[in-house]
Formats: sequence, structure tokens, C-alpha cells
Amino acid sequence: MSLASYTARRAALGLVQVLAVVTLVFFLVEALPGDAAVALAGDNPDPARIAQIRAAMGLDRPTFERFAQWLVGLPQLDFGVSLVSGRPVADFLFSGIGPTVALAALTLVLLVPISVLVGVLAALREGSLLDRALTSITVALHSIPEFALAVVLIAVFGVQLAWLPPTAVGADLFAQPAVLVLPLVVLLARPICSISRLVRAGMVDALASDYVRHARRLGIGETRVRFAHALPNALAPAVQQVARTTDWLLGGVIVVEAVFVIPGLGTVLVDSVAARDLPVVQGLAVVFAVTTVAVNLLADLVAFRLAPRAEVVA
Amino acid sequence: MKRAGIGGLLIAVPLALALLGPLFVPDQQTRSAPFLPLGPLGTDFVGRDAWYQVLAGGQTVVLVALIATVLSYLAGVPYGVLAATARLRLVDEVLMRPLDVLLAVPSLLVLILVAAIAGQGLPVLIGVVTLVNFPDVARLSRAAALEISGRPALEAMRMQGESWWRTSIVYTGRSMLRTLAADVGVRLTAALYLVASASFLGVGVPPDAADWAVMVDRNRGGLFLQPLTVVVPALLIVALSVGLNLVFDRALRKVRT
Repeated sequence: MSLASYTARRAALGLVQVLAVVTLVFFLVEALPGDAAVALAGDNPDPARIAQIRAAMGLDRPTFERFAQWLVGLPQLDFGVSLVSGRPVADFLFSGIGPTVALAALTLVLLVPISVLVGVLAALREGSLLDRALTSITVALHSIPEFALAVVLIAVFGVQLAWLPPTAVGADLFAQPAVLVLPLVVLLARPICSISRLVRAGMVDALASDYVRHARRLGIGETRVRFAHALPNALAPAVQQVARTTDWLLGGVIVVEAVFVIPGLGTVLVDSVAARDLPVVQGLAVVFAVTTVAVNLLADLVAFRLAPRAEVVA
Repeated sequence: MKRAGIGGLLIAVPLALALLGPLFVPDQQTRSAPFLPLGPLGTDFVGRDAWYQVLAGGQTVVLVALIATVLSYLAGVPYGVLAATARLRLVDEVLMRPLDVLLAVPSLLVLILVAAIAGQGLPVLIGVVTLVNFPDVARLSRAAALEISGRPALEAMRMQGESWWRTSIVYTGRSMLRTLAADVGVRLTAALYLVASASFLGVGVPPDAADWAVMVDRNRGGLFLQPLTVVVPALLIVALSVGLNLVFDRALRKVRT
């Protein structure tokens, strides 16, 4: 299968996923007892006032009409209006997106080189003390809840030793990079473990494969064999795991923002859930889902390019 | 193997505290001011003895994770086997395609969304964690059953006219057991991760519940005064998660080799 036709099929699947998630989010919220008008009418709801608000917000129109309207608004970044403050949902998203994207991007930038390095180191010295130590650590720390790790690190490095700021309250993320150290360590812990293990396994397999043996027989230098022939094949499964990581990262960012008091999308989500501000929750769900689908799409394409025999998902 | 031994020890402490701890909590508890150095760990954010909170707080985390894991297997295995053994390709597609959608959403987001809509409560928490784990179990069972249903032994059984019960349930089920058993640890740590993170974010359990994750969240304000009220429950969760990983990693490698 050529890259072009694979891209087309994979993109079609992604589009269906996005549509399905968006539909699900809308109708889940729709299924709630009581609507926005009841929430806005306050503690002492007067039926006439509820009806008035309902008409003003267009809530008296049929569900499908409103769904269609919401759907048309999405590509134009029109997610509706917050129930609590009346501000457009897009405002909330723009205000929170900076810190979240900065955290996620920094994590990904650090994640790939570190986990490839750890995996390759372990694979090249397979069975050595270093390999066993690295494997033990990556096995142990895999899928540790971020908040527990974060709190322990804060207690040790933030409070006891006072080396690093315990939270990011009132700090500018970019002016004081020290604020970012602990959040990044926490965000990196889980994905580094899974990806470095995949790189190690892929590298061990590749180094034992026929084509590497053949390359060695041809007299190609060991460095070139390792890094130009074995490594790309070892990376294909890892790239797809990087995409899974984005799923964790979004979840992790929510938790990490809550622990370190960083005003990002995760904080917006937790706050709007607590306030039952459903249009904001809907908007965030759409943003998160579209991001996940897009990243998975990209990762599958990269993996396909690296090792075209990779299985077709669509 | 040394690693599994350490893992077993790491599991034993939080597990014993979680299961036996509630027995040692007195019915009558005195309340004093928040974050005072009373008792072994000090007092918590509303002045309760944090040690008793630790004793009482493991139960929900451990039980919810366990129940949700069991439920996701009860639902996911038949689902996956059904998809794999269906005569019509269409049934397989109809069963498995919707799972792709579920997998496309970050699991913590699903949890927060459903909890926002369905409200609080342990049944909701169990339900959502089951729902999040279910697609993975279904996929794994489908793959395992598909591989088994192509085996010559099963072909022979079919040709001999063995009943559907004996081919699909008895033989296939028994052969899948190893693959599924190896995967239990992964599912259990995933469930533990979700339950703990959700409780920490205030989804699913009431804000003053005796729960390790809730304690970590609520007592954070006293991190400078009584750090142990936060660190001890956090460490217990870490120990449980690390221990599970170490023990089940061994089981996983045993099956693969």
C-alpha cells in the first residue's frame, strides 16, 4: 500500500472518530436532567423566567436543529457561551491553552531523546547491570499515578530540601523555569518508562535480525549498523506509543496542573466540571478529542513511513 | 526472582492496611484543630487523626480498582470472543468499531465527563473505570480467540461435530486463560491509576471521604505543617502501584517465554 492511499484511509477513520466523539459529547450532555436555563434561573426558579431564558438561548428549538448549529459552529471555534459567566467558551480555551501546550510540548521534546537514549543504552548492553537496573526502574515506575509521585516529589524537593518551588502559584512559567522542573519530571516519568522499554525491545530484536547480521557481513561499520539500520526499525512501535502518550499526557496534564496550580486547560476543565458549566466542558472535550485523534493519525503515518510493513489500522 | 520479592513486599503493606486497617479505627473519634502534631501522623485538614484516616482510607481505592477490573473482564471477554467467533464479518465490525471511538478519547477525560454527567458515587466510579478498561480487554480477548479459532485442534473438533459450547467456551476459554492472566496486572494497575487520579480530582467520592487519594488532595494545604498527612497516603498508593508492576511483570514474562 502506498503512503498516499494509507493516508487517505487513515484520515477517513480519524474523521469518523472525531464526528463520533463530538456527537457523543453533545448527546451525553443533552441527556442531563434540567438544562442551561434551569441552571441560570438560580435558586428560586420561576417557570416564566425559565421559559424566557430558554427562548433567548434557543433551547426551545428541537435537539437536532441545535446539534446541527453547534456542529457548524465548531470549525469556526464557536463553542457556545459559558453558563456561569456568559463569556464565549472559546475565551476559556484560549486563556488556558498556553500553559497546557507549553507543558505538553516540553514533555514531548524531552521525552523522545531521553527514552530513545535509555532504550538504546539498555539494548546495547543487554543483560548487563546497567540494563537490569534501567529495566527494573522502568518496570516499577510504569503507570504510577501522577498526583502521588508529584506530592512525594514536592514534599522532598519543594518542602524538605527547598530546592525547587513547590507550586507555580503566581509565577510566570517562562520567566522562572525552575517552576517547570517538578511538573515536567512528573509528566515524563510514565511515558519514559513505556517508550524506553519498547525501544529496548525493538533494538534487541533488530540487532539480532538477519538484515543486521548481513550488514555486518558486508563490513558496514558498527555505528552505522546500529543507528542507520537497526534504530529506525526499532523506533516504529515506539512512535505509535508516543501517540498513546498524548492520551496520558492530556490526563496527566489535568492532574499536574491541579497539583502545581498551573492555570491551563486542565484547571479550566476541573473548575467547569465543579461548577457544572457544561458548554465549557463540551468545548474542552472536543478540543481534547480532536487533539488525540490528530496525534494518533500523525503517529500512524510516521510509523508507516519508518516501517511500511506496519499493520494498517483502517 | 528478586524483583518480584520486593514487589510482593511493596504490595503487602498497603494491601494489609487497606483490608485490615478499617478494623482498628475506633468508632468515636475526637476532633481537634487542623494540622496539629497529635498522633503518629498529626491531624488532617478538619482536625481528624490522620493515622485513622490512613487506616480507613485504603479500602475504597483497592476495592473499586478490583471490582472494576473484574467487571471489565466479565464484560470484555465474552464481547471479544463473540466478535472473534462470529460467522458474519459484519458482526465483528459492528462490535469492534465503536471501541475505536472510545479508545480515541483520553481515559481521564471520559472519567471526568461521565462523572460530571452521572454525578458522584462509588457505583459511577466503578462503572466508568470498567468502561475505560473494557475496550482493551475486548480487543485482547478478540485477538486471543481469533488466534485459537484458527488452530487445527479446533478445526478438528468442529468437524467431529462437537457442540458450540465445547468448542467456543470450554476449549477456547481454557486456551485464552494464559494470555488473559498475563494481562491482569496491566489492567489492575490501570484501574488503580484511574481510581486514584479520579478521587484526587474530586470525581466520584465525597470531598471529606476517608480515601488515600482524597487525603492527598485535601491535606495538601498542610504540606508545610504536617507533611506526613500527605506523604504517607501518597507513598502507599505509589507502593501499591510499583508493587503490582513488579509482581505482574514477572508473570507477563513467564507467559511470553
